This record gives sequence, structure tokens and C-alpha cells, in this order.
Amino acid sequence: MKRLLSFLSCVAVLSGCTGGGSSDGTDPIKVGYLGPLTGEATSYGMDTLNGVKIAVEDINAEGGINGRKIELIAEDGRCTGTDAAGAAQKLIHVDKVSVIIGGQCSGETLAAAPIAEAAKVVMMSPLSSSPDVTNAGDFIFRDYPNDALKTKAMANYFKEKGYTRVVLITENTDFAMAFRNSLKENTGADNFVLDEVVEPGTKDYRSLLTRLKGKEFDVFFPNGQTSATVAAMIEQFREQGFLQPMVSHDVAQDKSLLDLAPKASKGMHAINVPEVSVDSAFGSKFLSKFGDAQASLAFAAHAHDAMRVLAAAMKEVGTDSMKIRDYLYALKGHDGVVGRFRFDKNGDVVGIPYVLYEVKDGAWGKVADIPVD
Amino acid sequence: MEQLLINGLIAGSLAALIAGGLALVYGVLGIFNLALGQMVLLGGYAVWWLHQSVGLTLPVSIVGGLLMAGGLTWVTFEVFIAPFYKRHRFLPLVTTIALGMILDAAMLLFFEARPRSILSNGKNIMDIGGVRLSVEQVYLVVLTVLLLCVFAYVLHSTPFGRRIRAVVQHSHAAMSLGIRASVLHRVIFILSGVLAACGGIFIGIDQNLTPVLAFPITIKAYAAIIAGGKGNFWGAIVCAYLIALLEQLVIGIEWFGRFYIPAGYQQSVALLFIIVFLLCRPSGLFSFKNRTA
Repeated sequence: MKRLLSFLSCVAVLSGCTGGGSSDGTDPIKVGYLGPLTGEATSYGMDTLNGVKIAVEDINAEGGINGRKIELIAEDGRCTGTDAAGAAQKLIHVDKVSVIIGGQCSGETLAAAPIAEAAKVVMMSPLSSSPDVTNAGDFIFRDYPNDALKTKAMANYFKEKGYTRVVLITENTDFAMAFRNSLKENTGADNFVLDEVVEPGTKDYRSLLTRLKGKEFDVFFPNGQTSATVAAMIEQFREQGFLQPMVSHDVAQDKSLLDLAPKASKGMHAINVPEVSVDSAFGSKFLSKFGDAQASLAFAAHAHDAMRVLAAAMKEVGTDSMKIRDYLYALKGHDGVVGRFRFDKNGDVVGIPYVLYEVKDGAWGKVADIPVD
Repeated sequence: MEQLLINGLIAGSLAALIAGGLALVYGVLGIFNLALGQMVLLGGYAVWWLHQSVGLTLPVSIVGGLLMAGGLTWVTFEVFIAPFYKRHRFLPLVTTIALGMILDAAMLLFFEARPRSILSNGKNIMDIGGVRLSVEQVYLVVLTVLLLCVFAYVLHSTPFGRRIRAVVQHSHAAMSLGIRASVLHRVIFILSGVLAACGGIFIGIDQNLTPVLAFPITIKAYAAIIAGGKGNFWGAIVCAYLIALLEQLVIGIEWFGRFYIPAGYQQSVALLFIIVFLLCRPSGLFSFKNRTA
């Protein structure tokens, strides 16, 4: 035991040494990445990590940030709070990163936020959309829009279409649950004919949907965390003979949904952030480096822009967390792949619009822009 | 109500495929295979790969997938089970957990996190007297029942089956009568792997494959074999169907005409089932058929 202790203290001293001498101006700036690299949501992690990698390579090729290269350290959050908290602890206290890009799943971001907040490290999520992230902390930013706005847009869309009786099946994850609560707030809780929460990863919805037999409703909202569960929901919904329209969110607007449920997805609608074209400069670079995006190119673009805006901040004010934070709050606008955006007083992004999509001829196509008030 | 029974039949067929093989392995070798769910998924992925990427026809892909699954389970037995299980029957518990982790990572690496479906063009739905199901599901259920019947015939009406049952009842006694138990151990383990792979193909056709489905599948299969009685093939099959039917009824029925049970509790049914059985009939539903030597 004594030997173990002395070994541990030795390691602590050594790591303290390497961590301490990082301000001589030429050694790399460490940037942490936190996202699901294994598990059900791996596709989000892969896309966002690859987006960040493209930004890091470009920045380093341009000569780095004031002569200092970026060193990217990726940690696995597995789309769960416990893993994300552990990963954030490691990034902040062992690797001593200057900023963190992550988490991706809202559950990751919410679990990592108090740790980043306590250590005063700026963390920017490129993907978390849960309304809870808004008040997660002073150092917590995101360049992906808040679901509170999206559910408002969705409630307006329901009203416009005359959908007053909604069927909602929600996967029990932070993201989907927050979306459900926010949607109920905006639509009115009385408008739900069926509102059920299922365990994450459920693939058998037949008996749940059997309950709808003989009931009248206007629209089905599959509120899943991944396209795999949304595909199972919509396929079994159509299987049971229901013809009502289906509307969903970001998760559904995914190419893999069309491969999994080619018939059932026909005519389905989704409200999501604007797509990033594969023909754009970023899109073609991503394609040549990593192949097709596993979930969505837009996710990669948001991650890329998060790295870019943080790099711009560090170029301007250095690696001091307070100054990076203040720079981001004061930012007038950043021109990224996803458009021109800035941050509000809660660190939420401003300037990303919504688009209504529909599945036509086996592909997601744009129907209309949805203004965000 | 009819719809719920059909739903239970579909879900139960899937569970029975996986639990059946497991019941034999647990009955004969007395070991826990916690990589079972991963073997299920790998079978499904192998067929998906052969059908969608290599471009073989579906029947050829299925045969190919089952052969690959058989080969993999054989290797698994030689590397992760055979060196350990004779020392202590709990050792494979650890080695198969390790194997499960390795397979999880391997599936992510080779098949990516994207969900996969074996059939590329949706299902053909039919309506029989108000009950809706797809043609594919009819095939799956019929083939499963057929497969289980063939299995039963082999097990109960052939000399080979008699030898397997002898080994199930008492491995050493069977050996003393000239039955090569170690060969049969391998055969049984490979069979369980092939049955598991059939389950994976079922999932890949009826739903879709994702790399992290494995653990819930394993748990449900264990619930069935615990409730069915140690090493009781038929008990496991019956209980697999029973649990699946209960799962459907629990959330599909309006209880006492007043309320529905929230869908989130569906997955607890299997676990509750184990607890009830361990409390009331620790040796399983059909344990009286087991002879002890």
C-alpha cells in the first residue's frame, strides 16, 4: 500500500509538472472533445468529431492560433450523463484543456456543465438542443438552436395544419423528454390523445399502437433519440394501418431513416435546422476525408463552426477562460458554414433558422423556411 | 385483442429462438454465456453484409450468415469457454463478458453505428380479419415454429437427440456409456450460436439492427430459461412465448376498463417474471420433468 501511495504521488507530481508549464507560447493549445464515440448514438459522435477534426486541421495548416497548434483530445461520453461527467473531469483536470467542444447528446452536456462551470472552462456544444442547456451555466455555450424555439415552431405548424389531436411516443432520454415537455407546453397538454414514454432503444411498439385502434387523432409524432427507434415507430405505425401524417424533428431527418423504412417514411415531415449541401466546400471536404456523414452533415458543420468560433476567440484574447467567455458574449457575428450566428446572454445561439422538410421520392426535400421570432 | 396475441407471437418467436439454444447450453455445460446478445446481432449483421454489401440473394445470405455464426461460436467455444469451464463453471461468466465487449467494439468498427435493415424495400402488409401483420412476419413466425419443431424431433426421436439428452442429464454417466460428451458439448454450443444468429436475422428483417441492442436481448433470454427450468428446452421456449405475450398484454390492454400501464414498464416484465419464479418455483415452471442422477 505504501509503495502504491508513493507511486501515485510520484505520478501526481509528474503530471503536475507537465500540466504547469504550458504558457511559454509555442506548445500546442489543448482542445477537448466530448461526445458519444461508442453506444447507440455513435453516429452523432463520429460526425461531430470529424467536423471538429476538419476545423483543427485547417487551423493548424494556417499556422495555428498565434503560432500555437491545436491538439485535439477526444473523450467518449456514450450519450449518458455518468460517462460524460467522467470524461469532462478527465479533460479538465488531467489533460487541462483550454476549451471543450461537447457534449453532443443533451444528457452529456447537462452532466458535464457543472464540472466545466466549477473549473471555469468554456464548453460549447454543437448539437445539444435541450431547453435545459440554456441555464446550464455562464461558461456553457452552444451553436445549435434551443428546442424551446423548435417546439414553438412545431406548435405553430400544428395550428396552421389544424392538427389538434396529437399522438406522441417519446424515448426516455434527456433530449427527447425535454422536447416532449417543451412541446406540451407550447401545444397545450390537452391536445395529446396518447402520450407515452418508452425505455431507450425500444423497437417493439405494436401493442402500444394497438391502443390507438378506434381512436381519432390528426398527427403522429415519433419522438425518438435515434433514427433506429424512429424507424421502428413509423414502420409499425403504418403496419397497423394508420394513415395519419407524421411529423418529427432533427433525429428523423436522417438518411438512414429512409434506408430503414423506405415505405413508411414516404410523405413524412420534419422540422430541423438548415441542411449543409454535400456540394459546398465543407461538404466536399468532409466527403473526401470521411465519406458520407453517418447521421447528418449539418451536425458536422455545427461542430466545425464551434471549433472555428472558439479558435477565433482564442486568437483574439488568448486562452484565458474569462476572456474567451466575454469575447463570445460580446461577439457581433461569426460567419460559419451554417450561416452567420452570435450568442445571447444565456450562451444560446442566435441566427440559425428552421426548415420544414418532407420525404419525397426517397429523399428529404425542403418544403418551406420557418421563421424564428 | 387478436392483434395483441399476434404481436405476442411475433415477439415470442424471436425470444424463443434465442432462449432455446441458451437453455441447452446452460443445461448441458452449466455455464452462462453473456455474449449471447452480441452473437445474435452478429448473425443479423453477417446476413445484412452478405445481402446488402456483397449482393447475394436473401436465402444464400441467410445460409452464409448462419455458417459464419456457427464458425464464430465454434471459435468462441475453443478460445473463451473450453479452456475454462472445466476448472470452474463460473469462469466463462467472466470470459464471455470480455468477449461481449470485444464483439461490441468489433461491430461498431465493421458495421458502423448506423442502424441497418436486412430488407431494403419496406414490408408488405396484409389484413386478416382486422389483424394486421406483414408477409415477412408470417414467414418469420412460421419458419421459427418449423425450426423449433425440427429441433424437437431431432432431440426426442433420433439416436443423436437421445445422446444429447443423455449428456444434458448427466455428462459423466453418458461418457461412461461411450458417448463422446466433449464433441456433443461443442455441437450444442454451436447449435445455440446458430439459433441465436437466427434471432439476429429475425431482428434484422422485422426491425433493424443497432450495435447496442445486445444486453436487453441477453436478459430476456435468461428470464425465459430461469422460468423454464434448468436445461429444459421446452420450458424455455414456452416461457419465452409467455413473457413476450405478457409484455404485449401489459401495455396493450386497458386494465379494468380504466387505465393503461405506462409503456416504460414493458421491459420490466421479464425481470419481474424472474423474481416471481425464483420466489415461487425456484426450479422453474417445468422442473418436474427433470430427472436428477
